[in-house]
Amino acid sequence: MIFPAEDFFADAPRPTPLFAAVASVSEANLWTCVNGWTAARVYTSVMQEYDTAKNAAVLADLGPLARYTVRGKNAAEFLGRLTTAPAVSLQTGESARGLMLDDRGFVLDLAEVSRLSDELFLLTLPSPHARHIALAARGLSVAADDISDQVAALGVFGPQTADVLAAAGLKSVSETMAASEVLRGVETAARPIQFGAMPGVELIFPKDESLTIWERIMRQGAGRPIGLDALEVLRLEAGAPRPGLDFAPAASGGAQARTPEELGLAHLAPLDRGWFNGRRALRRLAGLPRRRLVSFSIDAEQSSPGAAVFCDDKAIGRITSCAWSPARKRVIAFADVDGSSRGNIYEISASSPADTRVAARRFETAESALARVFAGVQGQKSPRTTDFRR
Amino acid sequence: MANEAANISLEGASAHRIEGGIDAIVIGAGVDSLAAAAYLGRAGLRTVLAGAGPEIGGRVAAREIAPGVEGIDGEHLITVLDPDVIADLDLYRHGLEFAARRLDTTYFFERGETLRFDGDLSYAAYTSLEDDDDREALEAFMSEVLETASFLRPAFVPGVYPGGDPQPQRTLEKALGQASPELMSRIRYFLAASAEDILRARFEDPQLCTLLLAETAFRSAAPPNEPFSFMSLIRRYAGEAAGLQGAAAYPKGGATAVVTALRRAAQAAKVDVRAGAPVKSILIEGDRVAGVALEDGGQIRAPIVVAALDAQQVFFDMIGPAGIDIGLQRALASARPEIATARMQIILKGVAQDEATQNNMMRRLLYAPPLEAITAAFIDARAGRVPQRVIVEAIFPTVLDEGASLDKRQVMSVMAHPLPADEAPDAKRREQIRSAVFDSIEMFAAGFSGRIEADDLWLVSDEAVALKSGIGAYAAKPNVLKQWALASAATSAGEINGLFFCGPEAQIGPGLSCAAGRAAAKAALRAFKRGAP
Repeated sequence: MIFPAEDFFADAPRPTPLFAAVASVSEANLWTCVNGWTAARVYTSVMQEYDTAKNAAVLADLGPLARYTVRGKNAAEFLGRLTTAPAVSLQTGESARGLMLDDRGFVLDLAEVSRLSDELFLLTLPSPHARHIALAARGLSVAADDISDQVAALGVFGPQTADVLAAAGLKSVSETMAASEVLRGVETAARPIQFGAMPGVELIFPKDESLTIWERIMRQGAGRPIGLDALEVLRLEAGAPRPGLDFAPAASGGAQARTPEELGLAHLAPLDRGWFNGRRALRRLAGLPRRRLVSFSIDAEQSSPGAAVFCDDKAIGRITSCAWSPARKRVIAFADVDGSSRGNIYEISASSPADTRVAARRFETAESALARVFAGVQGQKSPRTTDFRR
Repeated sequence: MANEAANISLEGASAHRIEGGIDAIVIGAGVDSLAAAAYLGRAGLRTVLAGAGPEIGGRVAAREIAPGVEGIDGEHLITVLDPDVIADLDLYRHGLEFAARRLDTTYFFERGETLRFDGDLSYAAYTSLEDDDDREALEAFMSEVLETASFLRPAFVPGVYPGGDPQPQRTLEKALGQASPELMSRIRYFLAASAEDILRARFEDPQLCTLLLAETAFRSAAPPNEPFSFMSLIRRYAGEAAGLQGAAAYPKGGATAVVTALRRAAQAAKVDVRAGAPVKSILIEGDRVAGVALEDGGQIRAPIVVAALDAQQVFFDMIGPAGIDIGLQRALASARPEIATARMQIILKGVAQDEATQNNMMRRLLYAPPLEAITAAFIDARAGRVPQRVIVEAIFPTVLDEGASLDKRQVMSVMAHPLPADEAPDAKRREQIRSAVFDSIEMFAAGFSGRIEADDLWLVSDEAVALKSGIGAYAAKPNVLKQWALASAATSAGEINGLFFCGPEAQIGPGLSCAAGRAAAKAALRAFKRGAP
């Protein structure tokens, strides 16, 4: 699950339920605002947090994300309509990624759905969509409740995730199936999530018990908190677009709206599966991307959003987000480019020295690899390979 | 051809019968359904029209309103019947005939004054006004309004059907591109300003101002002091009756004559017209319609379905919210309707003796309360109260149509507006409405109450019950801009291939029009020929 763009101009952000806990370990004391909630940008240093995520396990306060419980006889149909996630075919404990589309087939937001029981689901979204959800629920036997204010959410990522959870006493929690367990007397739900390509587990517990759970996990000393800046590097390496930064959610209108295919996420909205909102319009748009969101590695020490992208000496788009990647030893970036551009030599404009360009090349991310496999499968018209459940 | 359709089930086993070999199914039994079915049938499509009730006609239906006296529900005048439908379906050959055309209108005011407009609005100023300044102002105004209404006529035809005929919109866009700056400026003014602002700026004569405000506000949910309200009058004057723009006409046999002619046209086109065949759901396979499931358990399979019921029934009951886009749901889930028009048919004893009354009974009569009373009536109706004074349109079918005359009695057909749109009015509420209508009629026909032999009040809730729908579809329509938005959303039908919607939400403005049925059928034919379904 990806955080949406920060609200740089928000007034008085609210503290997340875990704020007191995470603030106590923040050395950098560098904060920002996401969806009106306080979020840490850095706790110690970006590189240290990044390394911990790659080699051990990190803890991320996921409080700023929007969470809904969806209950009722039609809960699966409702989520199958609201999102492109295959909610109807999920078994209890399974989770699936998807997208929320508008009627025109443009992406409103990312979505993650977990089935907790026959008629109970958890829906997590980067941003709240209360009105859209309320409208979608009309006429269906379903109740969608916003629980963002009532629970704390802690993400655990990294290769040692299982060890961290086991050390904390959550032995039955796995990285593939949702489960719940009582931890120090607190009912704690755990479900598999994915930050970009990095699998992890999200722990959800009552906000009043947030410090209890936090202390339990931290006392084992196995996990370190991670801020948004380090998560940004991981996200770009995984090729996961960020709403509000790499694309404008369709609800904001204008020409910035993007289809799943234009974001490289066509595999999250397969047209040969059950109906979802916007699918009919999407069918018309399929195969006709006006723009493409692609990942570049840039031969430079730094770059910046807005920098022009050239293909065979022709301007084709702009950088939407970028960061230094320790893994690639280069700046990596997302760029929004002309959908019809084809070429081999890519360059990015550099701010210094002025009017110069640096070489760039496209690279495959976990997400683009999925998209490529999906496109290949679609080309063979196989009817059975479009369910990307975990 | 429809009657030759292959029936692959066992004869008589209707409970689980699956009919194939059908090209198109039209759901509904109203005028738009009949028009759509007739167009499809004429084009050679094997077409079935499935109506839920025992009779064909929808909201336009004959009903006994008193022992031995039959009245007609729904509409009582023809003002906006699409001339293309009349011509294309040859409705005159199928029996449509006007008993009275170019109906003059007599306007009655609060203090007993009257004004008369010729049935041809181009001559309205000459028949009614003596003052040269007023005459000049009205003549210029009517000329501008009729020209603007005629120019904007394509905008009042639903045209956003998937694969629909873009011609009206193209014509309009081209015309707008070539329109003079003066006309464009006028259109912008008429679009955005309120009727009250426009009319007060044009007329010093308070009666002219009042009667035009009453005409504008009549049957609209938009009060005349709100922006965009003037478009209601433009919409009304964009229509034509018996070949005359902005006119009103009374068909021989009443509005059911239109139903009869359309039904004959449909049957001549070999449409299989079935009454008492209620549709339970619309079958959708993938993103396409596959036919309909009937209440009796049977199915009719077809690649084209034209739905002419109200949008709630079509999209929520027959398709279900899980099968439609959320944006369409948002558009349909509009605010609760607040304003409605009441229909009343009154049987009066005796025969008028004086010539003035006799002449007026051959006209359309409209009682125009003072502007303040109209504004107050809208405030009351929106608040759920019955107004003291309402705008009343009255005609005498028994005078206009010789075939409908009664012995020493007359039937007065009335529409009263604005009234609260009640879901389920009780007897007390009905009595309040009845009294308000009678009081308003007394303002121009003193002593009228003493001549009442029987009366029949037909509210929007009665219409909803008869048609098994919500009141929303048949309550007064909001301003034209809102209607355009709703019609666009509804006729796009959630982009379900093969589904074409022409229910009441597809129509801009009140009245018997059939334009939506025609537009839906044209779009369906284009899709059928392309092989899209």
